[in-house]
Amino acid sequence: MTSRAGNSTQFKFRLSVLAGTLSLLLIIIPLWISRVDSAVKPDQYKLLAEGTRLLEDGKLDAALEMLKQVPMPAPGEDAGAFVRARMEAAKILFSRRDYAGSTEMCDEILAILPDNLEAKNLLVQNQSAQTPELLRFLKDMKTYLPTLLKSSGMTLVLVLITMAVSPVGGLFIALCRISRLRALSSFFWCYIWMFRGTPLLLQLFFIYYGLPPLGITLKPFTAAVIGLGLNYSAYLAEIMRGAIESIDAGQMEAAKAIGMTYWQAMRRIIVPQTYKRLVPPVGNEFIALIKDTALVSTIAMVELMRAADQIFNATFNIFILIQAAIIYLVLTSIFTISFRKLEDRLGVYENR
Amino acid sequence: MIELKNVVKRYGSLTAVDHVDLGIEKGERIVIIGPSGSGKTTLLRMINFLEKMDTGTILLDGKEVGYRRDKKGRLVMEKPEIICRLRSEIGMVFQHFHLFPHMTALQNVMEGPITVKKEPRGKAEAIAMDLLGKVGLLDKKAVFPAFLSGGQKQRVAIARALAMHPRLMLFDEPTSALDPELVGEVFGTIKNLASEGMTMVIVTHQMGFAREMADRVIFMDNGRFIFEGHPGDIFSDRMDNPRVKAFLQKVL
Repeated sequence: MTSRAGNSTQFKFRLSVLAGTLSLLLIIIPLWISRVDSAVKPDQYKLLAEGTRLLEDGKLDAALEMLKQVPMPAPGEDAGAFVRARMEAAKILFSRRDYAGSTEMCDEILAILPDNLEAKNLLVQNQSAQTPELLRFLKDMKTYLPTLLKSSGMTLVLVLITMAVSPVGGLFIALCRISRLRALSSFFWCYIWMFRGTPLLLQLFFIYYGLPPLGITLKPFTAAVIGLGLNYSAYLAEIMRGAIESIDAGQMEAAKAIGMTYWQAMRRIIVPQTYKRLVPPVGNEFIALIKDTALVSTIAMVELMRAADQIFNATFNIFILIQAAIIYLVLTSIFTISFRKLEDRLGVYENR
Repeated sequence: MIELKNVVKRYGSLTAVDHVDLGIEKGERIVIIGPSGSGKTTLLRMINFLEKMDTGTILLDGKEVGYRRDKKGRLVMEKPEIICRLRSEIGMVFQHFHLFPHMTALQNVMEGPITVKKEPRGKAEAIAMDLLGKVGLLDKKAVFPAFLSGGQKQRVAIARALAMHPRLMLFDEPTSALDPELVGEVFGTIKNLASEGMTMVIVTHQMGFAREMADRVIFMDNGRFIFEGHPGDIFSDRMDNPRVKAFLQKVL
């Protein structure tokens, strides 16, 4: 019994110590918190909390009023509540298109924390929102024009290389196609069939992504040039074959009659007569080529289309695309006019 | 000079030239007449190796030329180089001229000497100028064929053939594509050539020209020589071959 009573007393004592400690903690913690809070103007945070609550309730006017009341801290004082309140206010004002008010809020934040990123960004947003839209677009166009022009240089390089390579390849294939050697002719029939019958995009993918597993890794530029060169050679080959076959058979006979070999006749008589006939369809192909170079943007080449796409995605400025379109139009127009002139020059021997 | 023996050319079931023998002597002027499709042009083209004969022999100065037999014994043309050399010695003038349209009159005439004979430009130009003068077209030397009349074109074509200094000239209906008033100038040119002793074979429908020019007239029909003789015989009243008579009645 005694031991039981003693045990009971001991238990009660322990319980009271625990309760005492707990209640002490319960008093001390809030006190400590309130001490911290009250040490720096407790109403700053009360106002911020109230304002945030109103904002969450959708009472924007009241929230704005409340947030604006958070006073500016003296130098060295905690600026947390003030900065947050002004930021919220700036956002509310921005959403109401009160850009001047929003700018004012941002300025107040930056006066205390000059490096505040959020305020800086919003300030820029306010500035560009205040400029008229058209002006902003035009400004973007000026900003990004050098980038677009530089990348259109790559487009032009690709076009010029393909223009230099594909007529040579095309003529070679065309001559093989009309050759009496069946194997040669059939081989290039297949070549043309494949390159004209599948998308250029697929061919580029194959060369750039498909060859590395087979042990051939190409740089994007090399892959682009090979892809465009092979594809355009196939197209030009058919145009050239058509042009060669359109030359009157009497020309070959007359050339042979003065003792020329087949190849002499081809080189001196037949092929030169195709030049003028080739200009319109080949010009057509080269204009298509200017636009087809846009496809190489898919194999990590930065050319005009890729650059325009990147800038557009960053700015959502439709004028960048219009600008790119204009550059393409300028390029194609130069080609159209040059080919017209070339055709006239090559046709001097014709009586029209 | 050139001799064709037993020459046959078939197109499918049609026999265009049917066992023909033809000897051409140096300086001789032969005119071949006959209805269309009778094989005249085909015969001419075989002399120039533009057409392959099926059977027969072609002799140049008594030597077989242009053909050999393959392993299976079939008649095949010689290698291109040999054929080209043979052709370069035989000039040909076509009905439709076939001037090279992208070259001026002078360039057309120079082309053979430069490309085939590899003559230096200066020499080729001298030859060409001389020949253009001969056909009376020196003033047209810088003109492209498209700006020449039919008669002028054909005269340039004759000069172009002559530039290769051929031993034999073949004329395939040289005036058939010409307006009547232009026929004379081309015949004039051919006559001048004849007066210089050029050996020539002419296919034509111009009977007057045949009568005037020919040493020998050949009448061809269905791929065969129906009649062969002096123009005086063929165009005389004594002509008794009914097919020749019928043809001549139609064209004269």
